[in-house]
Order: sequence, then structure tokens, then C-alpha cells
Amino acid sequence: MDILFGLCGKGFVILAGDTTVAHSIVKMKNDEDKIKTLGPHLAMAYSGEPGDTIQFAEYIERNLRLDQIRNVHERRPEASASWIRSSLASSLRSRRPYSVNILVGGFDISSAAIVEGQEELGGTPKLYWLDYLGTKVEVPFGAHGYGSYFALSLLDRYHDPNASVEEAMGTLKRCIDEVSKRLVVSPSKYKAKIIDKDGVRDIEIPV
Amino acid sequence: MARRYDSRTTIFSPEGRLYQVEYAMEAISHAGTVLGVLTQEGIVLAAEKKVTGKLLDLSGASTGGYGGSGEKIFLVNTNVIVGVAGLTADASSMVNLMRLTAQRHLSVYDEDMPVEQLCKRLCDVKQGYTQYGGLRPFGVSILYAGWDPHYQFQLYHSDPSGNYSGWKATCIGSNSGTAQNMLKQHYKDDITLEAAIKLVLETMGKTMDSTTLGSDKLEFATITLDKNTKIPFAKIYRPAEVDALLKKHGLAKSEDEEMRS
Amino acid sequence: MNSLVSKFSTNNIPKQDVEDNEEYSDSMWASSAGYATNGLPTFRLPSLQQPTDFLRLHTDDHADPSCRIKIKHGTTTLAFRFKGGVIVAVDSRATAGSYIASGTVEKVIRINKFLLGTMAGGAADCQYWETYLGIMCRLHELRNRERISVAAASKYLSNLVYSYKGMGLSMGTMICGWDKTGPAIFYVDSDGTRLKGDLFSVGSGSTFAYGVLDQGYHWDLSDEDAQELGRRSIYAAGHRDAFSGNTINLFHIKQDGWDFIGNYDVSKMHYDGPGNIPGAPGTGYGYEVRTNPEACVVAD
Repeated sequence: MDILFGLCGKGFVILAGDTTVAHSIVKMKNDEDKIKTLGPHLAMAYSGEPGDTIQFAEYIERNLRLDQIRNVHERRPEASASWIRSSLASSLRSRRPYSVNILVGGFDISSAAIVEGQEELGGTPKLYWLDYLGTKVEVPFGAHGYGSYFALSLLDRYHDPNASVEEAMGTLKRCIDEVSKRLVVSPSKYKAKIIDKDGVRDIEIPV
Repeated sequence: MARRYDSRTTIFSPEGRLYQVEYAMEAISHAGTVLGVLTQEGIVLAAEKKVTGKLLDLSGASTGGYGGSGEKIFLVNTNVIVGVAGLTADASSMVNLMRLTAQRHLSVYDEDMPVEQLCKRLCDVKQGYTQYGGLRPFGVSILYAGWDPHYQFQLYHSDPSGNYSGWKATCIGSNSGTAQNMLKQHYKDDITLEAAIKLVLETMGKTMDSTTLGSDKLEFATITLDKNTKIPFAKIYRPAEVDALLKKHGLAKSEDEEMRS
Repeated sequence: MNSLVSKFSTNNIPKQDVEDNEEYSDSMWASSAGYATNGLPTFRLPSLQQPTDFLRLHTDDHADPSCRIKIKHGTTTLAFRFKGGVIVAVDSRATAGSYIASGTVEKVIRINKFLLGTMAGGAADCQYWETYLGIMCRLHELRNRERISVAAASKYLSNLVYSYKGMGLSMGTMICGWDKTGPAIFYVDSDGTRLKGDLFSVGSGSTFAYGVLDQGYHWDLSDEDAQELGRRSIYAAGHRDAFSGNTINLFHIKQDGWDFIGNYDVSKMHYDGPGNIPGAPGTGYGYEVRTNPEACVVAD
């Protein structure tokens, strides 16, 4: 099963996911990007039932794009995450629900999100943990899959909401290394994205 | 000749006009005036109530129910108030739709509905009624005054055709031309909320048929931001508060006038 | 009645399996009436020890109880991209449980001159939907005056099978071709998964094929070496996987469309090899090297 991590720092949020696609005992691919950019300051990492994941992610991606075309401004991370949650919740009671778990990372640039005395950050980083049942929680850090069993305690101990990008990447690396060390079948490669006032970009995971 | 096109909303006249939509707009130009002025600190909304007859029992309204006496100005959501001009029954159905739309948005997005989106959503409905057969357009113009984190304070106007536009200060209903000229003359981009309140009241005083103002004919509201929480705060004045405000600005009717009426 | 059952049944079939509420069997009618059977009741059951076990062998209800029919067949298919285009190689065995139903199955579906699809899982599903995909690709050509990209064709198929998800479709296919972007391979299966990649193998023998393929693969392979790698990999699976084998079908996709390279008998490959073909070792793939190692040189 896929492994996803997400953590907030000072003025940014980082999402990371492994890059393996496996069928039974076979790795079909090892460079799959499981993080989708949903808007100028929004991205989503997803895992779950094969097929459902990509179909749902593309459904969300296209609808948020349509929303932005219609309403000009980008939807705020809180609103976007709530809408994704609603979509999962209504899907849950449909004939064939999507089985997808999600981490939504965003950077809120609206006036209400600019903290007094920290104007230079340009807004507030936001991270939401969602599961296929339609649960949504705002979290300072989060994880999905087997990685969460190892990473959550680690993040309780090492996560710093005021961390710099370098420090946060160091913490992310700790999570990845811990999973590699203790999980029986652990993925070999990860990809990460950072979201801050300048938008969404790929970020290299330190070796 | 015009009759052939009069009776159907969906049909263009040879001159390219939609009579029913124009008639709807005409209905509004006889309705009670609604006035809105936008400032950096908030928005002021005022509306003229047309008193329909002397025997109308307004005794309940004098103490003010929830949200004021409520005929022209309504609270739609925490962040939006509206003033309506036109058919009261149509307006109340529109207000109901606005409130539902805003609540639905809140349930899906967990945020107050952005003002322009709400306005746009309602205009889509209004537009629909200019096109589908067997229906008449909504005979209502609406002023939306609201706040959202995207564009802060905003003032929009929408008409029965489904057009909408954003304004610094505007006016709908009877005598709206006169009012608009006054607003144009006195509006400044850095106008304070206090000055805007004064401007609104004075403009109302000049436009309304009667020589004096009172809570029986005037509805008044403001929307501002709470100083501490930065959460929008909509205040629809109760009749007593309206009278107090008028008195403060020296626009209230004198005691004897009250006696005479 | 029950005494008759115990007298004529050779194994211990529970008595509720006997149709004792029917007075006469089929054999009492028409030409067989009155001959040999003497009006005796018979059993409408497969001549097996345990019919349920037989059924289980042919269906997939242990994996997904909601799918009542899923005749799976073992397969090995592979495709890879390299500088000279795309190599597509497949075996030709169709199995139903432990029974080899056919040894001459065409597991490469020719969608059009530039597109090939491979077949694993349900043969009917693959044949039907990939032929349908061919129709849609042709319509795309007529409507847009240009060939459909491999990405678009594979996405069409993936969306299509996704709309049937959970209804028992069983397909694991590679859509291979050459378009404006060059050679391309997409793996599409009935889960709705769609993956772009350089190298895939699908089917029960895929692990065996991967073993040879991954070791021998690199981008700068010559055409001959690439074809030999495809052939050798399917042979490897045909040799080790009970559900794959018989013959190998080999295709090569280049800029101007696909070529059928040839059909090769797996047993012949084992003892003699593909013959005097460029890139081939010139000996059998498996026999001689195991029986008389001194006599041959292992190809690198």
C-alpha cells in the first residue's frame, strides 16, 4: 500500500509520497507521481484502490479548475478541502464509492489568512487529512498507509511548526528513513512537493 | 403588432427587444428606492418603504422583529445583506433562494459564500426566467452588500435580465436617477463609514416623496468588520434605532409633524 | 430410489444432488428412449469427484465472490520501448484450469497499423474491447484528420473499463504504438489502472519474463538484440510457467507502423533456438546448455 506524508512549516507545507505502483508481488512502475497540483496554491497526495485514485484525483482537479474559471479567484484551501470531503462523503453512499485516502496541502493567500506581524509569509500554510469515509481533519502533519504507523510518533516528537524548509525536509527524511528501516516491504523512491506563497513546485528529497 | 411579442418572454421583437424583461425593469423603477454606498470600513444600505395605506397595522413593526422590520432589507448570511426593489413577493422568494444557496455553500465548502459567487448564482436563475417558455421574469432588482476574504467589501447590483455589476455607490427604484447624481457628486474613494451614513440619509431625504424621514418609511443597515475578530458584522437597524440615527443627523420629523400624520 | 443411487454412483455424492423429483430423464426421450438405460434415472452432474471444486478451478469466486464468472487464463505478454521502437512479444497458450484449451491463441490484437494491444485475463473481454477501441480510433482519425495518440487511445480504454469496474471485466493489456511523440506503451487493466512506462510484462508468467527482460534491457539495444530479448523472455516464461507456452508471437513497432516478426515454437526454442537469426545464439535456449554445458557458449 502506498505511503503518504505531509507536514507544515513556517510559511509552507510539504507533501510527499512513494512512487511505486504494485500489482500483487510485482512492481509495475517506480516513478509514478502520486501528488496532483490542483491550483496555484493547492496540491493533493492520494492513495487507495487502483483506478479509483487517478479517476478521483482527475475529477477533483478538473472540477476545481472549472471552479476557478467560473469564479476568477482560487478557492481557499479550507474550502477546497471541504469540497473534496463532500465529494468523498457523497460518493461513500453511492452505488460504487471511491476508495481513496488523501492529504490536501495548500497555502491560503487571502487577506483573512495573513497573520499580523508575519506579513512577509504572504499567508498561512494549511494541511488536511482526509480518508475514504469522508473524514476531514486539519493537521500540522499527517500520513496515510503503513508509513503512518512509524511516522506519526516520529512527527509528534520532531515536527516543528516554525521549521525552515531545510529543517522540514530533514524531518521528512527521518520519516522516509524510518519506514525504510522498519517496514518489511518498503518503497525505494519518494517524490515531494512544496506549497508556499510562490505556488506549488517539486522539491528534491535530501539523500 | 407588439402584442405578438408582448405575451411571450422568450420571443424577440423585430427591434430585438424582450418586452417582458423591459416591463419587469419598468416595475422596479416605481418601487421604493434602495441605496448603497461602499467604503473601506463597511457598506451602508438604506431603503424606502412605500406605506400602502393608513389602516395598515404597523404596531408590531414599531418594536422591530428579528432583523428589523424586514420588508426591503434582509440578512442573507453572516457576510451578506441585501436590499430589494420590485415585487415584494418575488423578492421574498429570491431572498429565500439566496439564503438556501448560501447555506448549501457553507455545508459543502465550510466557508461563507463569496459575495460575487452568490450574486452570480442568483443571476443565473434570473437569466433562466428570461428564456424559458411560459415563465415571467423576476420583477426584482437587488443590491448585495457583503464581505469576503477575496475582495473584502463589495457592493453589487443585479436586475431582472440577470445582469450584475459592482459599484462604489448605487441606487435602484423610483427616483434612482436623482439619487445616483447626488451620489456621484458627493462620493469620494476615501469616504468614511460615518460620512457614508450621512450621505445615504441625505440622499434618501432628497429622493423620497415625503419631506421628512421616519422609521415607518425607512429601513437602514450597515455591514462592517468586527474590530477584534475580523468577522463581518451585519447590522439591520430597528425602527427605534433608525429614528435615533435620523435625529442624530437632524433629519427626523418634528413632533408636530408626527402629530399631523 | 435411494438404493438405486447408492448402487450406481461410484463416489459418495450427497443425495440432494440427485434429481429425484423428475420421473424421467432426458435419455428416455427421442432415439435413446428405451435403449440401455431401461428408464433408469441419471445424474446431471459432471463426471468428477467434487463438482464444486471443479467449478472453483474455473471461476474466480475466491478472489472476488461478487464475480460469478471469470474464466481466467494464464498468460505471458510483454512489451518494451527502446531506441528502435517498441517490441511486443506474447505466448499463445490458453488454459482453463489445468487444461490447455488452445496453443494457437493470437494474444496481440492489431488495433490499426500503428497500434497493438496485448491480451491477458479474459480473452473475450480483451478481444471485444480492443476491437471496439479500434473502431473508436478509426472514428477519431476520420473526425480529426490525424491519428490518435497512444496516450489518448489508452485513456479511452481505461475510462471505458473503469465505467465497468466491479462488474467482472478482466483485462490486463498494454496499448503499444508509435505517434507524434515517438514510441509509447501504456499499461491498462480492468481495475482502471493506466500507467505510462518503458517496460511492462503482464500475466501469470510475467515474473519469469521480467527476470530475463530486466537483466537484458537497455535503451540502446539494436533491433535484432531487442527482438531476441523479447523472444528469449517469453521463452523463459513458457518454460517455467505451466500456464504459458506453446508458441511465441513477436512484433516490432517502428515509425511506419508495426511488423510481424514471426511465430516461434517454445519447445523448438528450447532444443534448437530460433535458428540462424541475427542476435540469436545459434543454439537451443535451454536444452544443450543443461545437458552438455561444455559444448555451448551462454549468450550475454
